Amino acid sequence: MKRLRFLLTLAAVGGVAVVLPLLITGAYYQNLCILTLLYAVVASNWDLTIGYTGLFNFAHIAFFGLGAYTSGILTVKYGISPWLGIAAAIALNVVVGAAMAFPATRLRGIYVALTTFAFTELASALIVSRTSLTGGSAGLVLIPSISFAGYDFGVHNNGYFYLGEILLIVSTFLLRALLKSDFGLSFVAIREFEDYAASRGVPVARQRLVALVVSAVFTSAAGAIYAHYLGVASPDIFGFGFVTLFLSMVILGGSGTLYGPIVAAVALTFFTEWRELAGYGDLRFMIVSGVIVAVLLFARSGLWGALEAIWRLARGRRRTSDAAAEAVAEQNRVPTEAGPAATVTEPQAR
Amino acid sequence: MNALAPILSAALVSGSLYALLASGLSFVWGTVRIFNFAQGALLMIGAYVAWYVTDPSRAGAGLGAGFTAALFALAFGGAVLYLAIVRPFIGRANSDLMVIMTTLAAATFFENGADWVAGPRYKNLPRLATGNIQFSNTAVSMQELIIIILGPSLLLAFAVFLKRAKLGMAIRAVEQNRDAAFLVGIDIRNIYVIVFAVSAVLAAVAGVLYGGEYFITPTMGDDPLLKAFIVVVFGGLGSLPGTVVGAYMIALIESVSRYYIGLYYTPPILFGVLIAVMLVRPTGLLGRAYQ
Repeated sequence: MKRLRFLLTLAAVGGVAVVLPLLITGAYYQNLCILTLLYAVVASNWDLTIGYTGLFNFAHIAFFGLGAYTSGILTVKYGISPWLGIAAAIALNVVVGAAMAFPATRLRGIYVALTTFAFTELASALIVSRTSLTGGSAGLVLIPSISFAGYDFGVHNNGYFYLGEILLIVSTFLLRALLKSDFGLSFVAIREFEDYAASRGVPVARQRLVALVVSAVFTSAAGAIYAHYLGVASPDIFGFGFVTLFLSMVILGGSGTLYGPIVAAVALTFFTEWRELAGYGDLRFMIVSGVIVAVLLFARSGLWGALEAIWRLARGRRRTSDAAAEAVAEQNRVPTEAGPAATVTEPQAR
Repeated sequence: MNALAPILSAALVSGSLYALLASGLSFVWGTVRIFNFAQGALLMIGAYVAWYVTDPSRAGAGLGAGFTAALFALAFGGAVLYLAIVRPFIGRANSDLMVIMTTLAAATFFENGADWVAGPRYKNLPRLATGNIQFSNTAVSMQELIIIILGPSLLLAFAVFLKRAKLGMAIRAVEQNRDAAFLVGIDIRNIYVIVFAVSAVLAAVAGVLYGGEYFITPTMGDDPLLKAFIVVVFGGLGSLPGTVVGAYMIALIESVSRYYIGLYYTPPILFGVLIAVMLVRPTGLLGRAYQ
């Protein structure tokens, strides 16, 4: 039954993925969709560390930017294929991410945030300083577009649309599988009660490192595709604008939910980029920041939590106190056997 | 040795500005235990308020009035900021991390708000004083001289206030031991409001000084915030002497590196130094460990 439902979902998602680029044909809306897909990949992977592992960090903005620049530089300066460029971007970010995470994950709370923030700024500063290689503060231009079997993605945006969809679906599928496994549950255990997780044999620092490195893979791939799609990579990628946008997706969608950041990526990309609202340029970002504070204040489980609550009401099930509480309780099957985990989840649920 | 004077004067000017902004950050961290990512936006607001009151095309009330208005506006603004986006999270789990997010959101709000209200055109405050002073082989402008003197004296006055005044002692008591301070009857929540107001005032002073030295733009606070961030982590979060020492050391490293290595290689060097310090000594040079 569960297997059937999963297969049906997969078929439905696949069907939508195949049909959507054929339905949305206007260049403008295709652009919005492609950006949404890439942003959704970044936001949902960032959430693996922030939401699930409880590791508030800024590293993913560096993964995204370094991914864009690695593939951009390799294709522009060394003429290699964009596909190899994307692979190289992933490889580099896994290595760099591990090197950064090794010391950072041994720190606590705010120091993790500060170290990863410094790491991101270092990456940005290095890129601006190497003008001959990276184009400096003006950015790297003329990044070649991706092509596949003679089909130039730059001419037919459908290529990027499908690529973005494949990336998001594969990334979400793997994240889902990871989070259902015992290995992934240990991330949540660390978030819920670090000391207890450690005492039950979870190697805290190693699992945090793994979470960072795993989420670097798809984030850097999204960055690389972003650079090939736009044809440019500029240091703006590392700026406060992108940091706030991606973090907003995580928080607004619901940190610690798998689909929340994806839903929020759709909502936020359309809200901040849609031309019908162009007259309200600054106001839009002011509204987004206001909503972020409101979500943090009143609805920790974000948009996804709200959607789940509505779904539950619609099905007429008994109202539970909080969607997040239920999700956590379900995920914590293993820890609850030992007793104290049930009380431990309390503060997080509110 | 003729590089010494320009390097030193540049280091003193930027060190004083960094010290002003960074001590606000560090002071808030020391007492409230949160990291305020909107501190750069507060600096920007201070500069804009001063510009609106000062500029002949607006209120035209002169720089003195503009400076004063910025101080009062930011004292109020800092208190409101605390009440709106920090107080509700105090005492919650992971409050420090959530407040990073709310202050980042506030910074976005203010930057876009400034762009919306004031438009994208660059603005400029008049200098506090005109003229130059010859100092060895370098000309130091009066504005820079004022920055060099005003920054440290203000912070010295602040340190004396913390040391001697009753309110200052209450603030230090909260910083040292929240629970014990509460037990002897100090209203911690009011202290937090005051701490935020004071740190916003320090940002406003830095904003007016920056606004006379550079252009006023909605994102003018981003770079000073980054520098202040390096300074507080380098000097030790929560330590006022550490922050001031850190500010001048970072400014010195920066101007030496700019002179001998180059403008573009300086930020990587600063962040490299910072990461090294964080790995070897996460609490900074003069900071204390917090649990």
